[in-house]
Amino acid sequence: MVQKLQHYIGGAWVSSTSDQMTSVINPATCDVLAEVPVGTREDVDAAVNAAAAAFPEWRSTPILSRAQYMYRYKTLVEERFEDFVRVVVEENGKTRDEARGEVRRGIESIDFAIGLPNIAHGYKVEDISSGIDETAERQPLGVFTAITPFNFPMMVPLWFLPTAIVLGNTYVLKPSPQTPISAQLLYEVLDELDMPEGVVNLLHGGVDVSMAVMEHPKVVGVSFVGSSPVAKIVYETCGKHGKRVQAQGGAKNHIVVMPDADLSVSVKNIMGSSYGCAGQRCLAGSVVVAVGDIYEPLRDELVKQASALRVGYGLEETTQMGTVISHAARERIEKMISAGVAEGATPVLDGRNKSVEGFPEGSFVGPTILDGVTANMSVARDEIFGPVMSIIRAADFDEAVDILNSSRYGNSASIFTSSGKYAREFKYRVDAGNIGVNIGVAAATASFPFGGKKDSFFGDLHGQGPDALEFFTDRKIVIERWF
Amino acid sequence: MTSLNTFGAIMTFAIEMETQIRDYYQSAGEAARAADADKRRLNFERVRRENVTEIKLEPIDGLSETDYALNLSDTSAAGQKAVEATAARFYTDTAPKINVREAQRALERAAKQHLQNAEA
Repeated sequence: MVQKLQHYIGGAWVSSTSDQMTSVINPATCDVLAEVPVGTREDVDAAVNAAAAAFPEWRSTPILSRAQYMYRYKTLVEERFEDFVRVVVEENGKTRDEARGEVRRGIESIDFAIGLPNIAHGYKVEDISSGIDETAERQPLGVFTAITPFNFPMMVPLWFLPTAIVLGNTYVLKPSPQTPISAQLLYEVLDELDMPEGVVNLLHGGVDVSMAVMEHPKVVGVSFVGSSPVAKIVYETCGKHGKRVQAQGGAKNHIVVMPDADLSVSVKNIMGSSYGCAGQRCLAGSVVVAVGDIYEPLRDELVKQASALRVGYGLEETTQMGTVISHAARERIEKMISAGVAEGATPVLDGRNKSVEGFPEGSFVGPTILDGVTANMSVARDEIFGPVMSIIRAADFDEAVDILNSSRYGNSASIFTSSGKYAREFKYRVDAGNIGVNIGVAAATASFPFGGKKDSFFGDLHGQGPDALEFFTDRKIVIERWF
Repeated sequence: MTSLNTFGAIMTFAIEMETQIRDYYQSAGEAARAADADKRRLNFERVRRENVTEIKLEPIDGLSETDYALNLSDTSAAGQKAVEATAARFYTDTAPKINVREAQRALERAAKQHLQNAEA
């Protein structure tokens, strides 16, 4: 019998007020893993009201006690580490190692939250005027929510929730309806902590639920990760309704390879960047800019190593690249490859119509490399979110930087070089929020903010690190004099 | 599974190998060596859990598990030396292929311990 997921509201598992459900599909086997409620505005009301009701008591709980809940949470998640890995693989399609990396990243965010009592301080100046002291007191704000994507169903919720609640806020998570089981498991473990009812709430659903969350008067802030067009809508909607917002959008990440790069080592790392998580990562390197005469040897090495990647079901340890999220995603990706070919690109490695023995219905797209791409082609401009690499030729470093900076996205950019001078110039001049030097996936760890610029990020304060501390708290200024 | 082409494939093979070695020494009445193998198994589980980082996940080539099959039917002193030598060779071969230092250290330590047992 297929599991029917429920909301978690006010410390209890509850059914949606609507019977309408959608299926959660394993993208490799096409098995139905669960049924997830589409959710309603009444459900949103219930979850937000529960969180709002829990806020006064939770806020007055000492921060050290709030952090202790997360310490226990970390321990329980560690104990069930491989359960999380399996769930992420089954509903998302990535490989076991990628899922392990994701779960580890999620735990690192819990670690960060546990340490917050050490840094979540206000500040004070005595005698700002004679006998008058001025203090900035750090305070939580109320009910925060996150609307999270399918590609990191376990990690992204943990970027936000632990930090928000340790800082004294209460929470409502709305995960992707394509991958809600990871969130369900996260909340099953939260349920074991016996936190005060309503501090953490889980709400399933789609667009209508997301809109209702953003429009709800008791929600004070929204964290979002997804595509750029939706991130912009989230940003605008939250602005209209007077909420704090951090909206991470899509990407078109470039990897510049200089003539002095160590080819073999670089390409090995580029494989992980372009084809890790089947390219469904906002940090995936999807455009390789080959500078000068490294173009041909680089292309040949890329094709050699990408051809050798073993595509298959993520639960098999030897699989090096899993599926994309759905048949619809596969069709969209294949159409974009075809559009690139129609515009003049040459598919020197073609992952269309990929089949994997034993998984005839799986949403597989093989590693794809498009040669002879120019910066104006759709495959160089638009986010594909699949295992597709486009190679562009640049005459020199300056042209490469111009190509990168002409992109409307600014999530990440990497350079492979043995020159400190070029590396320094790259960091300085490239307009992207996460920079890799001889690193293809420049993923900020939990104590650093996850960067992003231009159409890749809408908001002021990024997720994670010191930015998260600021996002989830306000500074109340107190000026006092005693007679 | 024949190819050891990912971080997880290597670590999982190491965990399974140490489980087999633990059971092998238990059946041979060698409690101390069984305990050592179980300690290594637990350590590899921890290392696999704590050290995967997407920044450095890269494909691995040139290793096949068929090269490291253990003969567990022979519990004689010579048989034990052969098992230890095979395990030592596995860890010696795999350690340089892993680009995460903590995991590399665990593999190197296991290689050293198995080598000492093989030469004892």
